[in-house]
Amino acid sequence: MAAFEFSEQPLDSDALRRSLTDPAAGGYASFEGWVRDMNDGRAVARLEYEAYAELAAKEGERIVAEAVRRFGVGRARCVHRLGALGLGELAVWVGVASAHRGEAFAACRYIIDEVKHRVPIWKKEHYADGDSGWVNCERCAADPVHDHGHDPSVGHAMPAVARHPAGVVVPDYSRQMVLREVGAQGQARLRAARVLVIGAGGLGAPVLSYLAGAGVGTLGIIDHDLLEPSNLHRQTLYSLADCGQPKALLAAARLRALNPEVDVRAYVERADATTLAAVAAGYDVLVDCSDNFSTRFAVNDSAVRLGKSAVLASVYQFEGQLQVLQPGGACLRCAWPAAIADGTVGNCAESGVLGPVPGVLGSLQALEVLKLLLGLATPLADALLLVDLGSLETRRITLKRAAECRAGSCVRVPASATAPAELELPATALAAGAANGYTLIDVREANERSAQPPPGPSRHIPLAQLLADPRQLDAGGRYLLLCTRGQRSKAAAEALRRAGIQDAWSVRGGIEAVLVARA
Amino acid sequence: MSTVEVQYYALLREQAGRTHERLETRAATAAALYAELRARYAFTLGVAQLRVAIDGEFAEWDAVLRDGARVVFIPPVAGG
Repeated sequence: MAAFEFSEQPLDSDALRRSLTDPAAGGYASFEGWVRDMNDGRAVARLEYEAYAELAAKEGERIVAEAVRRFGVGRARCVHRLGALGLGELAVWVGVASAHRGEAFAACRYIIDEVKHRVPIWKKEHYADGDSGWVNCERCAADPVHDHGHDPSVGHAMPAVARHPAGVVVPDYSRQMVLREVGAQGQARLRAARVLVIGAGGLGAPVLSYLAGAGVGTLGIIDHDLLEPSNLHRQTLYSLADCGQPKALLAAARLRALNPEVDVRAYVERADATTLAAVAAGYDVLVDCSDNFSTRFAVNDSAVRLGKSAVLASVYQFEGQLQVLQPGGACLRCAWPAAIADGTVGNCAESGVLGPVPGVLGSLQALEVLKLLLGLATPLADALLLVDLGSLETRRITLKRAAECRAGSCVRVPASATAPAELELPATALAAGAANGYTLIDVREANERSAQPPPGPSRHIPLAQLLADPRQLDAGGRYLLLCTRGQRSKAAAEALRRAGIQDAWSVRGGIEAVLVARA
Repeated sequence: MSTVEVQYYALLREQAGRTHERLETRAATAAALYAELRARYAFTLGVAQLRVAIDGEFAEWDAVLRDGARVVFIPPVAGG
């Protein structure tokens, strides 16, 4: 049984589902693509699929193998029809069996999205009016207005759009190549460049859009979060209907549509020191668009160790900070010699932010990355830029590299990446914790606690009070720490461990994760 | 007494309720000035979690304040 196959015969979804049954699987997710009676406003009667099957099947198998590896699912399979299909017929089938539902859904979504994007399959639609055409191909070239919401009868001039002989629109970098600072040589540098973006949120959205649009050859995206409706006021890559999907995969699909020339690689993983050690070496520039200090320091340390440039930004309400690291220059630890614990100051969820604020800071990051890749001067080497978008004032603070640092190393960056101490337990541990004598401590503020009561009996000690005096807790006690999303509670767990209270754990993902686990 | 211009960012701006101010102080160092202002505005962050810049450059907390100095207190920010 091949992981990816073509079939000239009708598909039997029951038989396909049975081919995945596995005693270790606790869940199964499937997607079926059906032949629909309308496309682009035209009534469809039937259609035909063609593929260069040998080549296409290899790409299909790679996609299924990627999904199995990336999401850790048990079994996955995809079958695509070829030949003539009538309305309502099953055109493509994807099935995934795995221990839990989350990764089954994600792997299923990944497979169908990647197959649609990467596997060369041509579709010819036969319309009810007797006409026919190859979709996104012949019809698009012959009638450039059909797909763009214009009324052809109005007859305004359409701009000339570059197309290659098959009729597909191709990227056009002329508006930036006109610049003396870019030109053909600069464009070739961008195409050869590999940029890793850590965080596909409010900062990451403009960074990724501009770099893909500019034709940066390879873009990596690390983000383990799923899209939430509360992200959409600032994270402009996504749609409401995408909520619940991994942002790295959504961003990758959007960027491939924006510019198919870019090799986009998505990593649905936590951007910790271990992930960065495995991934960052394959890139030229790292862009930190994360929303927490532990990731930001991990990105900084990775750039210093590997001798790479990095562009870091962060935001708070109406303000932002921007820093450009170049090998041998000042790094984040020159600005902040003492590592900052998460939870010290609020993030977007806790303190609030207006959408354009990360938009502006992310745009500045994209600009600084392009300057680095094009070899242009940046005024931000060995400096921190403070941007106040309330008053529209910026302030550049120069930063001296610590005198003890030598080229290619920083005295404050550990020589090798070490995994952080285990501080977290999954949200599902809450019930077991209560049964085993663990005290639940709610480290949120009083107003948050009244708005969203904790999911069980708990003591209330706001984070600031706990950090001020961790020893108010019994050194031999057992504690589970809880906040809204798991960042402040992690800072609290770290502080308690440092104070000698060893059996203190943060509930990963906070109350939000507890509620999801109970749903 | 010396006159200094102080600029606040992020959490400090919120807690001070202002972006900047000009004030007279007896504080001899950046750390002493911050202690004075912390008492006035109940800032929650301590010097270990902050940086100070004087006249556009990062400075140490024991840096001496001269008359007319432009002092910026910079908390870290996390959001993205």
